[in-house]
Amino acid sequence: MEMTTSLFPWITNSPLIAVQVMSGLSVGMFLFLLSVGMSLIFGVTRIVNLAHGSFYMVGAYLMAALIEVLPGNPVSFWIALLLAPIGVAVLGGVIEITLLRRVYRRDPMMQLILTFALILIIGTLVLLVWGPDNKSVARPEALAGSVRILGQPFPSYYLLVLGLSPLVAVGLWLVFYRTRWGMLVRAATVDREMLGALGVDVSRLYTQVFAFGSWLAGLGGALAAPTVAVALGMDADVLINAFVVVVIGGLGSFAGTLISALVVGELQSFGILIFPGVSIVLPFALMAVVLMIRPWGLLGEPEE
Amino acid sequence: MARSTVMLAAALAIALVLPLALSAFYVVLLTEIAVAALFATAFNLLMGFGGMVSFGHAAYFALGAYAAALLAQKAEWPMLAAFAAAPLVAAFGALVFGFFIVRLSHTYFAMLSLAFAQILYTIIFKWTSLTGGDNGLLNVWPPAFLRSVTAYYYFTLLVIGACFLALHAIVNSPFGYALKAIRENPRRARFIGVNVRRHQLCAFVLSGFFSGVAGAVFAFHNGSVFPDFAFFTKSFEPLIVVLLGGMQSFYGPLAGAFGFKVMEWLISRWAPIYWPLFLGAILIVVILVLPQGFVGLFERRAWRLRAVNGKK
Amino acid sequence: MSTESHTAARSFCLLGLLFALFGPVGSAVAQENAIRIGEINSYSGVATVYTFPYKEGLMLATKEINDAGGVLGRRLEFIHRDDKLKPDEAVKAARELVLQEKVDFLAGCISSAVGLAISAYAKDAKVLYFATHCQTSRLTWDQGHRYVAHTTNNVSQYARALAKRASTLPYTRWAHISPDYEYGQNLWQEFWAYLKYLKPDVQLVQQNWPKLGETDHSPYITALLQSGAEAFFSGLWGAQEIAFVKQARPFGLMEKAQFVPSSLGNPDELDPLGREAPVGAITTAFAWYDDGVKKRHPALDAWTKKYITWATTHGMKDPLPKLGATWGYASAYIIAEAIRRAKATDPDKVSAVLSEGFEMEFPWGTVIMRGCDQQAIPPQWTGVVKMGEEGKPIVADIEEIHGKDLIRSCDEVAQLRAAAARNK
Repeated sequence: MEMTTSLFPWITNSPLIAVQVMSGLSVGMFLFLLSVGMSLIFGVTRIVNLAHGSFYMVGAYLMAALIEVLPGNPVSFWIALLLAPIGVAVLGGVIEITLLRRVYRRDPMMQLILTFALILIIGTLVLLVWGPDNKSVARPEALAGSVRILGQPFPSYYLLVLGLSPLVAVGLWLVFYRTRWGMLVRAATVDREMLGALGVDVSRLYTQVFAFGSWLAGLGGALAAPTVAVALGMDADVLINAFVVVVIGGLGSFAGTLISALVVGELQSFGILIFPGVSIVLPFALMAVVLMIRPWGLLGEPEE
Repeated sequence: MARSTVMLAAALAIALVLPLALSAFYVVLLTEIAVAALFATAFNLLMGFGGMVSFGHAAYFALGAYAAALLAQKAEWPMLAAFAAAPLVAAFGALVFGFFIVRLSHTYFAMLSLAFAQILYTIIFKWTSLTGGDNGLLNVWPPAFLRSVTAYYYFTLLVIGACFLALHAIVNSPFGYALKAIRENPRRARFIGVNVRRHQLCAFVLSGFFSGVAGAVFAFHNGSVFPDFAFFTKSFEPLIVVLLGGMQSFYGPLAGAFGFKVMEWLISRWAPIYWPLFLGAILIVVILVLPQGFVGLFERRAWRLRAVNGKK
Repeated sequence: MSTESHTAARSFCLLGLLFALFGPVGSAVAQENAIRIGEINSYSGVATVYTFPYKEGLMLATKEINDAGGVLGRRLEFIHRDDKLKPDEAVKAARELVLQEKVDFLAGCISSAVGLAISAYAKDAKVLYFATHCQTSRLTWDQGHRYVAHTTNNVSQYARALAKRASTLPYTRWAHISPDYEYGQNLWQEFWAYLKYLKPDVQLVQQNWPKLGETDHSPYITALLQSGAEAFFSGLWGAQEIAFVKQARPFGLMEKAQFVPSSLGNPDELDPLGREAPVGAITTAFAWYDDGVKKRHPALDAWTKKYITWATTHGMKDPLPKLGATWGYASAYIIAEAIRRAKATDPDKVSAVLSEGFEMEFPWGTVIMRGCDQQAIPPQWTGVVKMGEEGKPIVADIEEIHGKDLIRSCDEVAQLRAAAARNK
């Protein structure tokens, strides 16, 4: 296009590069939070949940709705942050029980189309319940400002994300590798039938996993709400990003999702400076390259 | 066999006579149904018969539409020449993209096809000097003798009919049988000497070619082309149509196109805000209850009747 | 094989039956002798934040017109169709309205691509089309013709109004951030060209073109921070603008450079921001609540109350007037006036009236329908964002300028049309 944002000042300006790296990191962490739920659901149930972006959107809308209803003190933000993802988890559980359970044995394409149908339904329901107007969630007072990093301002709220995401990652690891429930879930990914034969209620396990994945999506939406507009169309924006991250990292791999989220976050942050027009195509180009060279992603399992 | 030929002939006769009985807009709608039916049938060559589900078929529709529009408008080719060349461009695109896509299967196949289609969308969107960017190309009208709604409808029938004949022949040829064998069990097909990759790529290119025909017909019908012809929501249309109509049958997509377009028109008219909700609900119902689509509705009853009457 | 085509034929018959039953039946029962206008817009999905208030304004005006006796003694009736934000759907809807519903005129659009597509169809079908909400100047300029009229302002008008105010600022080093698509490019070009014309010493130090719908703007924000710009223009709108403002604030960007957003005064962008609204930003606004504005336009207050009552009874969650509501309201009246003056519904006669031009008074000022391009010219308001009561942001220090003092001349329009014809 025309004149672009010049790269030269950046090369010499290390504090700005530092800030940009931090920004890219927080974008990456956001992406991780939002994508890990999709990866988890696929890893266990083998369903690519296209409605993941819709769950994210519901999380953000619930956050906005709760904040409007709760009293205006600083604690309300944290209460809303706690409750909104739970609401989404409940939604996810209900959807799993009523709809998804019937398609586990079917062609994966049918499952994909079912989750696509959910996007249409949830999108319209959000419009009907909350109306077409844009909403906004304010950052909590304590995190509304910025801190100085190498002399440059960096939004304090992003520190929350930078802090919370690794906690979530560690928490996930603990849950899946150090609890009995997590062990059952891992067993289910290996051999669902055997697990059922051993007396475990696998159906309920799947519901719990789906609810958990939805909870993660809702958490992503609730956390993101103070940094964007809570508006219709959020679901589409986010689905594409989550999809790309999960594909590149490898469907079903946490570590893969984490690494790929960070890589995609940084690439998006810096890529814009090098090739300005590229941001619109970058996610898909990345996805295509990965699928062409190593379809199962960085750390995924090659399927037979 | 003779019975079905008679039925088809009757259907064709009805289709030819309809413009005399219906008002102009219904003829417009029928034209669009025909385009959607061809697009869906081309898509079904891959999905129903080949067992490969593509999430990026809008790319070939868009390539056909844009090639036709660009050749007619910028290169100033006569419309029929542009129209003939457009599907070749789409087929070429299918060859290039398909080469990479067919090496994958199932979910990854779908995802790479989606990625390529979105990349094409981006190119169309940003290359404003060539494609008109997000405003698209306008005033892409057919020549005077095809301008009227009825004339273009007959032209569409001719083209779509010929394509259906071709696709029918393909599906029932040795190539088509090999494709079905691959769908059932690729490994066994390979053992009996079928070159799986080559057959799949061939099917992909053919599917792309006919999708391009649909795109080209639509371009001149609409009088304009836009980047959202390549957007992934357009890719879902043939998928929905095939699901509604029934993917195991050759004419399923045709019935599905009819049903889908009519439903879309009626519901958008009465309660536009509910259309996505309704579509989602219908999809869920079809997936859970009617896996064979509309056609399946009758299929099951037909079978039951036969069993009752003791026929084989 | 034979079973298959048999069952397919059966499903066909069923569908054909449905088609025959429901097709004609939903057809709007035409009021005898009503003047019917087919209105195509986006009534599902993301655009509804704009189109719902717009429709309320349109319907309010229509009711008033009909209660006062209609147009040429006939009722005015709008028949709505949803374009799903897709230009080809809009063309299909236009065809249905013209061929099936036999409307007298076409109207509507929110997306510029949709507006241009309907305009191309209208030109071909020789049906008069009133573009109502979309903003591209190409509608009546580059791609203008006698079968299209634009009943609201175009991009050029409000970009120039803002540029005029910006030219009174002491800043010479400018940057911008605009969405990378036709509207964003059109808007920026109009703003910058006029600013440079009014204040030749301004220089452009940086351009930023995020994609439409971008969610994370931090690289652009940090770029703007180090650009050395004293002021920067933003062509972003809607949810994207809200996201940008929220992300930019903690970086201190609004304190470092004067923020000049194109449409932040619109309530759909300003209200959700609440206490996070960028105080001091200079923008365009429909400030119906401003005392100065109310004094200048005494009829506005009553209109606002009337609109709020109307919107509330129609179930609008937020019944306060939006800019789009004024556009819908004005559009109905302009269309009615054009038909009235032509004393006919014949498109050529009405087009002839439009090409002569006329003026109408509205609660917010005079709207001129200019003849040479059939383009409406309303007043333009710019102001400064301030924090109002209870943390609700408002726009104050309103300056009003009429679009007629800003808009490109008829000669310039003729040149644009000639250039476009040559490039075809």
